[in-house]
Amino acid sequence: MMIDFLTLLQAAAEAGRSYGDFPAVGGRGAVWIAAEVHLMFAAFVLGVPMFAVITELIGIVGKDERYDKLSKEFTRLLVFAYSATALWGGMLLFLLTTLYPAFWGHMADIFSMSMWIYAGLFFVESFTLYLYYYGWDRWKSGRAKWGHWGLGLLLNVWGTIVMFIANGWLTYMMSPPEGTTVAEGLPDGVTMWNAIANATWMPINIHRLIANAVFGGSIVAAYAAYRFLAAKTPEEKAHYDWMGYVGTFIAIATFVVLPFAGYWLGREMYEYSQQMGVTMMGGFMSWLWIVQAILIGVLFLAANYYLWTGMGRIPGAERFLPYTKWMLLVLIVCWIVWGTPNTMIASRDEFAAMGGSRHPFLGVLGLMSGKNTAVNFMILTTFLSFLMYRRGNRIPTVTWAKAGTLTQGAMFVLSSAYVLWLGIYGYFVPTITRISYSVYQVAAVLACIIGVWAIDIFLMRGSQSRGEIRWGEMPDRSQYAIFVLAVTFTWLMGLMGFARSGIRQHWHVWEVMRDTSDRAVTPALGYAANMISLTVVIFLGLVAFIFWLGGLAERAVSKKPAPIGQPQAVTGG
Amino acid sequence: MFLTNIKVLAVGLAVIAFYTIIAQVIPQLESEVPEALDLSAGVTPEVLVTAGEDLFMGGAGCTSCHGLGTRAPNLRTDHAGEGTIGERCGSREQGCKEYLYESMIDPGAYLIEGFPPIMPDARRQLSNEQIWAVVAYLESLGGEVTVTADDIGASASAPSAPASSGAAPARTATTDPVQLLTENACIGCHQLEGAGAPVGPAFDGMGSRISADRIRTGIIDPEAEIAEGYEAFAGMMPATFGDQLSAAQLEIIVQFLAARQ
Repeated sequence: MMIDFLTLLQAAAEAGRSYGDFPAVGGRGAVWIAAEVHLMFAAFVLGVPMFAVITELIGIVGKDERYDKLSKEFTRLLVFAYSATALWGGMLLFLLTTLYPAFWGHMADIFSMSMWIYAGLFFVESFTLYLYYYGWDRWKSGRAKWGHWGLGLLLNVWGTIVMFIANGWLTYMMSPPEGTTVAEGLPDGVTMWNAIANATWMPINIHRLIANAVFGGSIVAAYAAYRFLAAKTPEEKAHYDWMGYVGTFIAIATFVVLPFAGYWLGREMYEYSQQMGVTMMGGFMSWLWIVQAILIGVLFLAANYYLWTGMGRIPGAERFLPYTKWMLLVLIVCWIVWGTPNTMIASRDEFAAMGGSRHPFLGVLGLMSGKNTAVNFMILTTFLSFLMYRRGNRIPTVTWAKAGTLTQGAMFVLSSAYVLWLGIYGYFVPTITRISYSVYQVAAVLACIIGVWAIDIFLMRGSQSRGEIRWGEMPDRSQYAIFVLAVTFTWLMGLMGFARSGIRQHWHVWEVMRDTSDRAVTPALGYAANMISLTVVIFLGLVAFIFWLGGLAERAVSKKPAPIGQPQAVTGG
Repeated sequence: MFLTNIKVLAVGLAVIAFYTIIAQVIPQLESEVPEALDLSAGVTPEVLVTAGEDLFMGGAGCTSCHGLGTRAPNLRTDHAGEGTIGERCGSREQGCKEYLYESMIDPGAYLIEGFPPIMPDARRQLSNEQIWAVVAYLESLGGEVTVTADDIGASASAPSAPASSGAAPARTATTDPVQLLTENACIGCHQLEGAGAPVGPAFDGMGSRISADRIRTGIIDPEAEIAEGYEAFAGMMPATFGDQLSAAQLEIIVQFLAARQ
C-alpha cells in the first residue's frame, strides 16, 4: 500500500507541471511553514527522549523516584507531540507534491527506497513510544525496569536513524555528488547511499543531534516554568522549580558544545563549495550572523540571570551575589563584541566614509579573533555562574579543600589569560594561523570546564550542607527568563534553518536543479524574519495546546477515586 | 491564572517581536536570480547573441585577455589585418561555429602563434548553453550567426561535453601553486617572476603589499576592493574562482602569494 501511495505521488510529480501556487502565502511560504513547524516538532520528539532516558537512568541508579517521575512526565508530552509531528510531516509531503512536483519527482527518483524505509521506521518508533509510555507502571521495578529503560534507548535509536535518513535528503540538496544531473540522476557508479552520505551529511547529523537535546531541554523547562506559575501548592512549586532547573541545565550544557558542531559544518560547506561558503558568511547573508549573535547573547544573559536568581533559594549562595554584576559586565561587553559586523555590504559613499569595507575602530572588534575571544569568555562566565550555583550551599570537608579551590581558580585564570592572549596575538598573524587559534581557544575552555568539574566532584564529596535548597522559593521573574530561553531557542532554530536552506539560493539542488519559479529569489532577512516568527507562533501555540491537553489528562487521573485505604492523590505528574 | 497566561503570552510575543524588528532594521539584501538562458528549440539568434554578449563582457571574463592585444588575439576588433572574429573565422575549414566552439573547450587545439597558452577550458566556468551563446555572439561580430538549438543539443549528448544542467565545473586536482596559477590563467593578468601581463597587481612582492586575508578576499570577490592604480580594470577578473578552486587549493595560492615578499 505504501508503494502504491508513493507511486501515486510520483505520478503527480511527473504530470508535467513544475510549480503550483498556494493562497495568501504562496507556494514557497506554505512549504516553508510546513517544513519548519514539522522540523520543530521533530526536534522536540527527538530531543525529549534523549533526556527522558537519561533521567530515568539516573532514577534507577540513584534510586531517586523524582527522576523517574520527571522522565515519565516528559514522555507523556511526547505522545501528543508525535501526532503533531506526523501531521505536519504529512502536510509537508502533500505541499511538496502539489507545489513542487518536478522537484519531488527528482528526489523520489533518487531516494525512493530510503523514503519507504523512513516511513516504516516511523511506525516502529511510534509503537516503541507507546510501549515505553504505557508500560511505565507495569515494568516498574527489578529487571523489568531495565527492560523498560531499554525501550527508551531503542526509541532514541529509531529516532536517530529516522533523522539521519531525512538529513540525507536535505543535505543532498546542498551538496549533491559531482556529476549528478536532473535528466539522468546520479552518475554511473554513484549509489543512493553516496547521495545520502554526501559532504555535509554527518556534520548536519551531529549538529542536529546536539541541537535537539538543547531544544527539548528548553521546551520542557518552559513547560515546567508554566506549571510553576500555575502551581497551587508548595509541593507542586518545588517539583516544577526543580524540573525547570533540570531542563534548563541540560539545554545550556548541550548548547555550549553546539558551536563546535557548527564550525565543522561550516568547514565542510567551504570545502564542498567556496562559493556557498562565501555566500553564507560574507555575501548577502552576512547580516544574518549579527542577528544570530544578538539571539545567542540573549540566551547567555537569560541563562545566567536564571542561575543568579536561583541562588536566592540556596542558603549560603548570597556570598557570591556581589560578583554577579561584574559577570554581567563581562557578558554585555562580550555580547557587543560578538555583535560587531566584520566587513559588510555598504554603498560606495559609506565605504568612502569608513575608508574601506571595515570601520576604522569597530572593524577591529569584528574580526574572528575578537569574536572568538568574546564567545569563549561568555562560555567561561556561564560555567562560573553554574559553579557558584552548585557550590552555593556546600562547605567542602576534604583536607585539600583550599588547595583544590585555588587550583580551580588558577585554571579559570590561566584559560582566560590564554584565550585573551590568543585573541590579541591573532591580529598579528596570517589568517590561516589565526583560524587555527580558535581551536586552541576552544580547547583551553573545554579543558578548564572538564578540569574544574572533575576537581569539584571530588572536592564536594562528603561536603557539609549550609541548608537545603528551598525548591519552589523562586521569584516568578526567573520563570519568565526560562520562557525567553525557549522562545529564543525556537527562533534561532528558524533562523538557522533559513541560513542552511537560503545558501542554496536559486537552486533546489545545488548546481543540479535550478528553481525556475517566479519565487526563486532568496528573500532578505526582513521577510525571512516574518516567516520565522509566524512559524514560531504556530509551533509554540500548538505546544501550549499540547501542554494543556497533558494537564487535562493529568487532572482526569487525579480525580479518580483512590483505592480504599490509600490517600487521594492531590496532583498527578 | 488568567493574568499569568496573559503575562506568559506577552513575554513570548515581545521576544518574537524584538527579533523580528531587529531583522527589519538591518540592511535588506536579496539574492537575485541570475537570468536563465532559455535555449529551447525555438531560440532565436538574437537571444543567443544577447546572452553571449553579456557573458563575454561580464561573468565569463573573456575581456580579461581578448581585446588587450597582448595576451590573446583581439576578437571584437581587427587582428593581423584579417578583421573581427566573425569576419575571419568564416575561412576556417571546419566551419566558423565549430572552430569557435572547439577553441573554447580545447584552447590548445588552435593556438595562435605569438600568444601564450593561457586560456582555460571554458567548460570549467560555463555551461554548454553558455558556451554556444558566446560562440553565437562571436559569429555576430562581422559574420552570420549560424548557431541553433540543434548544436546545443548535439554537443550536450557528446561524451566529452559537460553536463548541460549547469553542474559544477570539474576541478583540477593539483596542489602545486604555480601550476594552479597557470591552469586558472591567473598569470595572464598578474605578473609572476616577470612573466605575464600587468593587467592586475603583480604577484611578485604581493605578500609585502597586502595581507593574506586581503589576497583571499581578492580572489573570491574581486570587486570587494579594487587595488589602487587598477581601477580601470575593475570588473575584468572573473568572480568564479571561489567555485573553481577547492578550499585547500585556495589556501595554497593565498599562502604562496602571501609569501612572495
